[in-house]
Amino acid sequence: MADLRRLGRRGSYRLGRLGAPPPAGKPPAAPHYPAWAPGHRGSAGLWLLACLAAAAFIAVGALVGSWAIPFLAGLAGGVASRHGRWRLRVALPAVVLVAAAGWGAALWWLALRGLPEGAVARVIAALAGLPAQAAVAIAVTLLVAAIQAAAGLWLGRALGPRHPAG
Amino acid sequence: MGRVFNVLAALLVSAAVLALFALGYGPVPALGRALDPGHGAWTSAAGGQPAHSQALSLPGLAHPVTVAFTSHGVASIRAADDADAFLALGYLHARFRLTEMDLERRLGEGRVAQLAGPAGLSSDKFELRLGLLRTARAEWAATSRTSPAGQALIAYSRGVNDYLAQASSSGEWPSIYGLTGVYPGRWTPVDSLVLQGVLTQQLDYTTTPLDYAILERTLGPAHTMAWFPVLAPGQHNPYDPGPYKDRGIAPIAPQAGQPVLAATASAGAVKGPVAGPGPGSNRITPQVAAAAAAILAQTDALPAGTIHQYPDSNAWAANGPKVAGAKSMLAGDPHLPQTVPSIWYQIALSAPGLSVTGVSVPGLPGVLIGHNAHIAWSLTDTQNQATLFYTERTSKSRPGQYFWRGAWRRMRQVSYTIPVRGGSAAHLTVDITVHGPVMTQAGQTTSVDWMGNIPSPDLAVMLAVNRAHDFAQFRAALAGWRAPSQNFVYADDQGNIGAISAGYYPLVRHGDPWLPMPGTGADDVAGVIPYASVPQVYDPPGHVVATANQRPAGPSYPYYIGTSANFFDPGYRAGEIYASLQGRSRMHPADFAAVQLSLTDRLAQQIVPPLLAALRGGHLTARQQAAAALLHGWNGAMAQSSAAAALWWTFWGDYLDAVFGPWWKAAKVPVHKDRAGLAVSPQNQVSLDQVLAEWTTADPANSAFSPPGGPHRTAPAVMRSAFATAVAHLGATLHGAPSSWAWGRLHFRQFPSVTQAPALGYGPRASGADPWTVDAADGGLVSHQGPSWRMIVAWPGHGTATGEGVYPGGQSENPASPWYSDQMADWWDGRYLPMPPAGGYAAGPVLWSLRP
Repeated sequence: MADLRRLGRRGSYRLGRLGAPPPAGKPPAAPHYPAWAPGHRGSAGLWLLACLAAAAFIAVGALVGSWAIPFLAGLAGGVASRHGRWRLRVALPAVVLVAAAGWGAALWWLALRGLPEGAVARVIAALAGLPAQAAVAIAVTLLVAAIQAAAGLWLGRALGPRHPAG
Repeated sequence: MGRVFNVLAALLVSAAVLALFALGYGPVPALGRALDPGHGAWTSAAGGQPAHSQALSLPGLAHPVTVAFTSHGVASIRAADDADAFLALGYLHARFRLTEMDLERRLGEGRVAQLAGPAGLSSDKFELRLGLLRTARAEWAATSRTSPAGQALIAYSRGVNDYLAQASSSGEWPSIYGLTGVYPGRWTPVDSLVLQGVLTQQLDYTTTPLDYAILERTLGPAHTMAWFPVLAPGQHNPYDPGPYKDRGIAPIAPQAGQPVLAATASAGAVKGPVAGPGPGSNRITPQVAAAAAAILAQTDALPAGTIHQYPDSNAWAANGPKVAGAKSMLAGDPHLPQTVPSIWYQIALSAPGLSVTGVSVPGLPGVLIGHNAHIAWSLTDTQNQATLFYTERTSKSRPGQYFWRGAWRRMRQVSYTIPVRGGSAAHLTVDITVHGPVMTQAGQTTSVDWMGNIPSPDLAVMLAVNRAHDFAQFRAALAGWRAPSQNFVYADDQGNIGAISAGYYPLVRHGDPWLPMPGTGADDVAGVIPYASVPQVYDPPGHVVATANQRPAGPSYPYYIGTSANFFDPGYRAGEIYASLQGRSRMHPADFAAVQLSLTDRLAQQIVPPLLAALRGGHLTARQQAAAALLHGWNGAMAQSSAAAALWWTFWGDYLDAVFGPWWKAAKVPVHKDRAGLAVSPQNQVSLDQVLAEWTTADPANSAFSPPGGPHRTAPAVMRSAFATAVAHLGATLHGAPSSWAWGRLHFRQFPSVTQAPALGYGPRASGADPWTVDAADGGLVSHQGPSWRMIVAWPGHGTATGEGVYPGGQSENPASPWYSDQMADWWDGRYLPMPPAGGYAAGPVLWSLRP
């Protein structure tokens, strides 16, 4: 629409300026980020490092007897994921894997120290009335960590503050 | 709105997950705690590591103690005094067998449900009703704290508690505790005495009078006593052939908490060994039979092996010309429920005045079977009747009372609260009469008078035996032994041998003790056989003494000690042992080992000839002929590869069934109420084995061969029929030619885990043997009872013994440990391992230094 205050004034209208502005040039290619969240920033390496740190934290927590650390880690992940608007389809597998990796690392550490974890796994499975295979007890153990993390994630996402831009 | 719902749902799910993982729900354990890699069930891995030399601090020790382990984990404890030795033993037992000890303690104290949930409740109620805990408390109350037994129990408990404190501090518990979250409480002397009670129950508590009641009610008194006589026909091979002396009745020692004792009963003749049915005082009414069935239902719900079922054990000794390179030799192999871990923990104890090596029972201080510097001993169960049931006279108008000796008496009541994991606590009130606890009020109020409920200073006796130097001290020590009655076989470094059947043999003046008896007073236990008159021998002229649970005394023995029904072994094992030993001289330990491993079934040797004779008189199919050919020339060896053995065993079962099955069916014997005690099958009713063997060889026209209402039959005709049935059975089961029917395809040994987890046990594994072989296998085609420890001790000179032994399993209960089942192969293959010397020191790769 024309500006009424400029109507009839000299120089207000010039030929060649009445049409639509020329098309903008092709914007430069946007840098590639993992599609964890729209508008997310940060490198994949950093994210991987963060996951490893979380897994190590969970492992140490398990070794000192804090069995609920996977839940707390999941909770923190949930809060962060809501704040950072991470996609659930990415955040859920991530916290579950991190929690399982944490407890798995703890078992691995004990085995490296010479403890017969494989034999004990078989005993645990047998006493629990499960098929007496080491893999069964290990799987159930990691599942316990994963379930905690998943529950924590859900709670964190439900309670966490939204991203300001969101 | 959606967000609120999401928050609430997330909170709810999170709370549920955390609560479930923190607390568990019902049978589901607290999975978060249980599976935490650092502090849950995984921590038991520490106990699975190979032991290594180390120094340990044990509070309560007065002086340093050293413990040397062999490569199989057999420990030799060297201490400066007895208390330190027993403290160290308690620590070792707990460190290597805590689960086993705690499960046994829970069993005896009625605390299984606290760990296992509602499934353990029936066992808890039974045990609290029977009263092992009450008896243990009475025993401890009667034990002087300054006596050797009192001090041993206190020191031992301290050692156990030292380990519990370590486990609590490190969090390194056996898996079962990490998994359930129910941890063992502190150990007390009463706990040890409860374990003694559990062992007594396994060896001494029987329900045979209840089976008699049901049999008499269904088969009738005449058939019952003909087929289940007091004294079975056949050779019994008593180790004490007499002459015997009737010394009257000895009183029962005063009991704590028992104000009235039957020992004061009026004078009168004690029932002899072969008394027939009584003068009618034991009337088996429908109410009595109903009560019997109700009590049997209780015991049927117990874990296998909880009460006494099978004859157990062999032990023998020889001296003089019978042995070479030694003054005397002793062999012992107690047959007990075979579990992993074993009931035994091998140990050598050394302290000033105490030098002993052998096997101990985790939970108890001392060595139960073994040798010291001068004597060796082993045990077999005497099998005498130690359990008597009384039908109490009650009245609806007098609740809580019973009539005894002319007056109404008030029952004593004891109440218990039983914690149940994953459920609400259960409550139990036990009524107790002068006879003992009331086991049921269904049908007829029935109580039990069990010798195992009389406080017995077994530990004091065993500690004295551990220190005895000669037969006089050995015999004097055993005078205090009450229950379970045991045949103690002896050999010493002076070349002497002997045996004593120590324990209480209850006697009544009226009534038939093999049936439930009226509880009004006249039929009460009047006392016991005086110690001087219990079966015993010393340096017998034949230079051999052997017990294999056979009736220890002959028919002229002046006292009643039990009937043929499940009380005494038929004597086939004893016969084989005596035959093997008496026909030889200059025997070495290897010769004793060959006898211990004997697979000869003397019942088979007795019956196969008449069977083959019977088969010659009938028409046989080609397959039956091929099967019969297997038995020609067979030596009765129940070898794993023997097809004849499989054929024999199947035939014998079918033969028993062919003879007695029709009678059972006609009389409607309720076999389902107690299969072990009522069903017709080999070994279930050892008296049927004996009477049928006798009829087959000496009375083939016995009327029992003719079924009720059926045609006349004789033994040969029934044998032919049973043989055909057996061949058909095996053909249908194993297929192929009869020569392929190896016994090992039918018969197995299995060693269940004490945790009841099937995968933690051993087997089933194909095996030879049967209940009548010296190397016995009890419990049916999948045997779970047999030689639990094989030991041979030779005395080449004064104070010098060479001992060897082996048991199935290993020293550690931790399945992850290299000592869990490392002795199994040696046991299975009949090999023996050197025992650490008594008072010496086993050179071993691992040495522990225990410091105060």
